[in-house]
Amino acid sequence: MLSSERSPAESRQLSLRDVSVDLDGHQILTNVSLDVSARRIAVVGANGSGKSTFARLLNALVRATSGSVRVHGVDVAAAAAEARKRVGFVFSSPDAQILMPTVAEDVALSLQGSGRDRAEIARCVNETLEAYGLAEHADAAAYSLSGGQKQLLALASVLVRKPELVVADEPTTLLDRGNARRIGNILIDELPMQTVIVTHDLELARRCDVAILFDSGRVRAVDDADAVVDSYERMFA
Amino acid sequence: MISLYRPGDSILHRLSAGVKLAALALVALVLSLYPHDVLSIGVALGGVVLAYVAARVPRAVFFRQLWQLRVIVALLAVFLAVFVSPLAAWVNTGRVVAIVMLAGLLTLTTRMGDLMGVLRRLLAPLRRFGVNADAVSMTISLCITMVPVIASHAASVREAQQARNVRLGPRVVVPLMVMALRHADDVGDALAARGIG
Repeated sequence: MLSSERSPAESRQLSLRDVSVDLDGHQILTNVSLDVSARRIAVVGANGSGKSTFARLLNALVRATSGSVRVHGVDVAAAAAEARKRVGFVFSSPDAQILMPTVAEDVALSLQGSGRDRAEIARCVNETLEAYGLAEHADAAAYSLSGGQKQLLALASVLVRKPELVVADEPTTLLDRGNARRIGNILIDELPMQTVIVTHDLELARRCDVAILFDSGRVRAVDDADAVVDSYERMFA
Repeated sequence: MISLYRPGDSILHRLSAGVKLAALALVALVLSLYPHDVLSIGVALGGVVLAYVAARVPRAVFFRQLWQLRVIVALLAVFLAVFVSPLAAWVNTGRVVAIVMLAGLLTLTTRMGDLMGVLRRLLAPLRRFGVNADAVSMTISLCITMVPVIASHAASVREAQQARNVRLGPRVVVPLMVMALRHADDVGDALAARGIG
């Protein structure tokens, strides 16, 4: 289904229907059903609770063993390529996400196959690097950047494609407080598109509109972020 | 760390990647086939130094490039001097140093994306035989990107051994391989997430 055919209700709707995921004989998610359309969505839960698997379902990095996943009206299993065009994914470790030798080349890679000519790609890359304070590092070896700069690069490489939804899987886990705050501010305050943030940073989770709490592969709560984070904290009280 | 592009506006930076690659191939051919003597190989090496000067490559970078060749230079020079002649050692070691330094200069003055663009154009005629030029150039870029990653994995394994005061010996390959394979999985996911592959 093309974006022009979507109803307003579908334009930000993330829908899971009876989704189960079984990986190597382990049940990671069990009969998960939810509908969320908030602009900023936090996903919290203990390690191994299934929150990263949920995030990966949205970009078709993981396929549901059963059930259906729809992102903005697109059936992710039936149209993985279309879903990936709409959904940008930021990994917790930028080292795993940087694929090209230099900063500018890594951002440009995301526009490969976009139909833009070289001049247009160079313009988009420069704009994006300027926006995230990486312009002076454009020709630097990506691997030589600091941890915070690498995560900014990983984010820039996703955002240059202007996805409709950004899914960030623990984007601040490996960062110091300053860099974590900067990445958090970009994800919460600056991005025009919908974001799903998987995080252990409960301060960041509270800044979202809605939070989803995962526990042992099931959704335990979907509600206002403060209420869900309070309920998550009570699990360890 | 492998030599990478250094931004600049020298004449060598401004030349197109295709011209530089063709020139490198031609010079390498001439250097290899011309019957050099003591003087001519000296002139060739002087030409390499001039090319670095023309590209405004800092002296420290030039000497770092040269230092990276120390093992091959030493082996080649010693073996040729002992088993052939000192002249053969000078001429042939000079040839190798000149060609490798010029190749290094190419990567210092040319963006990887531009080099890959030339490679894609060169491989384009092979599409009819099933060669995917984009995949080949992408694979080469990925290999270059992964060199420092694997080096950092090796450093992590070395530090872990030191921290625990153990020596794995040849078994060090096992954790390194596991880390490399895990990283390969992550790279596969990252490619998929960007809609590539």
